[in-house]
Amino acid sequence: MKTESKPRQHGKMPILIGVAFVIPALMLFSVFILYPLTTALGYSFFSWKGTLRGDFTGFANYVTVFTKAPFDEALPNAFFNNLLLFAGAMVFQNSIGLALAVVLHKIGRVKRLFQTLFTLPYLVSPLVVGYLWSLMLSPLFGPVNATLKQIGLGDFAHPWLGDPTTAIWAIVFITAWQWIGFPMLLYGAALGGIPEEISEAAEIDGASGQKKFRLITFPLLLPALGTVSILTFIGAMESFPIPYAVGGSTGSPAGATDVMALLFYRTAFESGDVGSIGTSSALAMLLFLFIFGVAVVLRTSLAKAERKLYD
Amino acid sequence: MRKRISALGLIGVAALVLAGCAPAADDAAEEATTSASATADAVDPVTLTMWSWRTEDVEKYNTIFDVYEAANPGVTVEFEAFLNTEYNQLLATGLEGSDGPDLAMVRAYGGVQALIEAGQLLPVDGLVDTSSVEQSLLVAATGRTDGNLYGVPFATQTLQMFYNKGIFDELGLSEPTTWGEFIALNEAIDAGGYTPMALGAKDSWMLPIFHEIVGAARYGGPEFRDELLAGTSDFTDADYIASIQIVNDMTEYMVDDVIGVAYADSQIQFTAGTAAQFPGGSFELGNFTSQAPDMELGVYLVPTPPNSVSEKPLAAGWADGSFAINAKGENQEAALNLLNWLASEEFGQLFVDEVKQFSAITGLTYSDPVMKEMNELFASGPTAYINLVDMRYGDPSGSTLIGEGIQSMFLGDMNASGVSTKLQDGIATWFTPGA
Amino acid sequence: MRKFSILNAPKHVLLWIYALVSLSPLVIMVMNSFRTTQQMATDPLGLPESLNFGSYQKAWITASFETYFLNSMFVTITSVFIGTVVSLMAAYVFARSKRRVFAVLEGLFLSGLLLPVFLAILPIFYLFDALGLISNLWGLIAVYSALSIPFSSFILAAFFRQLPIDLEEAARIDGAGYFRTFFFILLPLVRPAIATVVVFRFVPIWNDFFYPLMLMRDRAAYTLPVGLTRFFGEYQTDWATLFAGLTITTIPLIILFIVASKQLVSGLTAGMSK
Repeated sequence: MKTESKPRQHGKMPILIGVAFVIPALMLFSVFILYPLTTALGYSFFSWKGTLRGDFTGFANYVTVFTKAPFDEALPNAFFNNLLLFAGAMVFQNSIGLALAVVLHKIGRVKRLFQTLFTLPYLVSPLVVGYLWSLMLSPLFGPVNATLKQIGLGDFAHPWLGDPTTAIWAIVFITAWQWIGFPMLLYGAALGGIPEEISEAAEIDGASGQKKFRLITFPLLLPALGTVSILTFIGAMESFPIPYAVGGSTGSPAGATDVMALLFYRTAFESGDVGSIGTSSALAMLLFLFIFGVAVVLRTSLAKAERKLYD
Repeated sequence: MRKRISALGLIGVAALVLAGCAPAADDAAEEATTSASATADAVDPVTLTMWSWRTEDVEKYNTIFDVYEAANPGVTVEFEAFLNTEYNQLLATGLEGSDGPDLAMVRAYGGVQALIEAGQLLPVDGLVDTSSVEQSLLVAATGRTDGNLYGVPFATQTLQMFYNKGIFDELGLSEPTTWGEFIALNEAIDAGGYTPMALGAKDSWMLPIFHEIVGAARYGGPEFRDELLAGTSDFTDADYIASIQIVNDMTEYMVDDVIGVAYADSQIQFTAGTAAQFPGGSFELGNFTSQAPDMELGVYLVPTPPNSVSEKPLAAGWADGSFAINAKGENQEAALNLLNWLASEEFGQLFVDEVKQFSAITGLTYSDPVMKEMNELFASGPTAYINLVDMRYGDPSGSTLIGEGIQSMFLGDMNASGVSTKLQDGIATWFTPGA
Repeated sequence: MRKFSILNAPKHVLLWIYALVSLSPLVIMVMNSFRTTQQMATDPLGLPESLNFGSYQKAWITASFETYFLNSMFVTITSVFIGTVVSLMAAYVFARSKRRVFAVLEGLFLSGLLLPVFLAILPIFYLFDALGLISNLWGLIAVYSALSIPFSSFILAAFFRQLPIDLEEAARIDGAGYFRTFFFILLPLVRPAIATVVVFRFVPIWNDFFYPLMLMRDRAAYTLPVGLTRFFGEYQTDWATLFAGLTITTIPLIILFIVASKQLVSGLTAGMSK
């Protein structure tokens, strides 16, 4: 059965059926997401006095966000940190997640146990993730430094969250700790979708583990990889609960853990500037456009790559 | 799977119906009790809601408002507190909506301007008797652009050095009166195996506080502030830079890697007895007494460093919040009556006794010995916490700038002069002297 | 046939080490729920001296956690149910139709993931105020269901695309309509995806404190996380009760996950390979 060479879509679905299936989601989405999203982004074109909207100011807020202190330094700094978080997540979170999925795929009965144990961090409330990890990594009370000293690696003991060079990586680690279940489960589900026959046929043909992975498993995982990558990108650009909990709203120490969402939060809520709704929504709009643009590019290039593989 | 979900859904719905049958019964303990003599006078019963961020004080305010309700039959005051970090947004939306509170606690100085300019608060000039309130604090509830009064400040905080009397006694130490004694004291504590000062440098907001505690006298407190506001001096003043340098010098008496210590960690250092001193605000008192009830607490003002502009030690202070009235509220007359009571000595004394914080009302007696001492220290050398009081009317705020700057300084990336330049350049984008 | 060799041992060791890292903060959370805040103030990571259930009592009874628990159950289960159902239907169309309009719609739905939560709260608040949904749990359900659509439709569409077309064409030849095909043939095949989506929507909705804090002003409509926020003070936090409350909040999630992971595994071994 040549399943690969047939197209996976058919345009024969009557438009009415399509619409009927989509309408419920579309209605909910339009009222509770689309409307607030466009309204909120529209705020950026006005001046504000607290929650009182003032005059239409065009792009004035955008100019402020690019040129005025503190934004002129904070914006590129935060943006760069977000990109770091994305790179870190791709390297640590997603590759380790993939590795775990592969290892667990064949491990037998303890699979569910480990899946549960590795996904449990996701269940911890964002209200206390930061506190718990601040405690774990504390140079005074934390078990991490204490353990390092005990096993003779005392030189590695570090004020992880206080040193600007390590603080952002601490956030990458904590984010990975919390989210590793997601790529692991998704890849696991995708791995399970690879028909047994193909796998066994390759083994009979004498393909080594590595070769099998490269030529068979990996290409079939590409769609899942694409999905995970896009969602990781969006998550990294919008990262908020963990940086906030760990570095506070100013991205301590000295802005090393500042991310776009934190910049937005303190502009919107903690600023003494009465026009802050305007500036913060300009920030949000910029972030939105950037993420949207990149996500579209990612999706089209991934779709092209998929099509190439299947030809 | 979906069958399971639907079954759970049915259970959930049933549960909600049951939950709906038991209204505020569980909440009775937390809500204000109804007034005693409800049938006494022919006053229309009024329920006034007040919002706040002081989740830790809910029961105390209920006790305080019981007194008001007993004296004002027919009036019930419901005090609700919400998560501090989201309170500003909650209040701004609540005041806009149709079901907002009648009164609310609002932030002081710069923090309240957004609400004022959006017209969400009722101007109370002439409607409230503020004669018992410390007049210099009224600016905390005043609109910066229109100069009207919008509320009554309710709490003040002061800054000083807390210390563990037990450790001092053990090491044979006493409160220092000169800078030399202060340094010797810290050295002795260090030699005695304790950490001299606990500071949470990871949380940048503590750093300007620490700066005021050790440096206010060096840069000249009130005189400097007058010059700053008039425009004859700014933050790049040599004495101000020197005061920042002192902050850096003091890290010698803290743990290594103090930049990695969180605020909560530093509190634990003090309550667990590993650090002998805690430079902090009067708001720490509640925490210390409940977490370490057996510790004997002392306070003192850090003596004047060499070359200080001020001749005496200074204690920085500020108003920490005000009571204000919702401009869209329906019970404004009753709310105004309550606000007048909140500006009275009776309330002030209740506040001090129950909430155990400093009130903005003058002429009160403090029964707690530590509070009494803090009050006396403040009276002996008052100054304003400039970066909070004057420098939060715009973005970036003074306290954020100097906090971040000091962090960079601790990391070795910036010197004291750089910090002051960072502060000055930042606030210069919105601050105009003489305004 | 799996070869049990000595090569498996290091794998297992590494897995267990990471499992320890995974679990340690949770263990701290549970341990501290049995201590008092004072004990934590002197020794943040010490072991509990005894199994002190006082904090649990305080959370459940004094802090009305019972009410909040029921509210959370109602809101989360209903939101996940509605969100998943509408997303499944939309995902089916996205995966199977070549029409341009649906591709655009799929992209539009994905953009919903970029909704700036803190900013959008203002228009949402005013919308709710106008619709009378403030302090009404159904308002929360509507928002959460809508918020689930971007993520869920994206994942489910990806999984639908993976399914071979022959099954549906065979069903069509047999005379089944689109809805029958969808419900009886495709749905069972994407069970692992559904389980994944359910878990990854249930948890954030259950744990979300921001929307209920802003939109549910009446304490009777609070959910568990909002109840938890009341233990955070401006300068002092009631850690002991907070951790007890947190443990109560986390247990249903653990149960859910254990149940769902069974679906994930069984779904993988059945149905996918023909």
